[in-house]
Amino acid sequence: MAFVSGALKAAVLHPGVAARRPRYSTGWWAWLLQRVTGVLLVAYLLLHIGVISSVQAGAHAFDRVLAFVQAPVFAYLDIVLIAIVLYHGANGVRVILLDMGVGNRHQAAMAWLAVLVTAAGTAFAAYLGRPLL
Amino acid sequence: MRAPGMPGFWWWILQRVSGLLLVVLIVAHGWFSHFVPISNVQAGLQAEPVVFDAVKRRLAQGGFIALDFVLLGVVLYHGLNGMRNIFLEWGPAARRQHLVEGGLWVVGLVAFGFGARTLAVFIWD
Repeated sequence: MAFVSGALKAAVLHPGVAARRPRYSTGWWAWLLQRVTGVLLVAYLLLHIGVISSVQAGAHAFDRVLAFVQAPVFAYLDIVLIAIVLYHGANGVRVILLDMGVGNRHQAAMAWLAVLVTAAGTAFAAYLGRPLL
Repeated sequence: MRAPGMPGFWWWILQRVSGLLLVVLIVAHGWFSHFVPISNVQAGLQAEPVVFDAVKRRLAQGGFIALDFVLLGVVLYHGLNGMRNIFLEWGPAARRQHLVEGGLWVVGLVAFGFGARTLAVFIWD
């Protein structure tokens, strides 16, 4: 219940994170990047559903489309996608913690921690996916 | 204002809950869809191409098709509600807000139907 009451307090007192972040501060950049990555992920999601939907035209159509998107250039784009997903997820956890009143005095450091998680996770994914690159 | 009992409050809580769910679901989705197939053939460092039969076989293994169905619904909710949040930060007029919300519902329902029909092909074809 601490989560709900903490979240409620934050929601009522601070309806928009943007409103209490000075422009160009670390928290402002973290907020902006969350929006930008979110929009990119929705665009990718709709594209992803569209690509996989080629299976509705039959297995051969699916294999043709999937062969195209498995060219090496798309493997590099996948690394970019993984970085976008990791940042959005890591910073999303940061936002939830801040909503709960956890670590508010360290919000800037937590934003950099999200960037660190993104960099480390992306490097790990690139290492695992190196047969495709 | 967001207060308990008001719809806005619950959409807001649901955005957090679905976000946490997605952290788990997307990592699982990416791991089983891509890294497991890669590691299976890592001996020769030759990537196994993603073809219909391979995807069908993977999705037929217990649970994976359910994971993708749940992921489809949760990710569409989180993504489109996130678009709504960005839009609301501009402080739009009520009429325009209802128009955008209606549009997002249409996009979400159509995309879910389309995605569900796609997943069904892998089960029943």
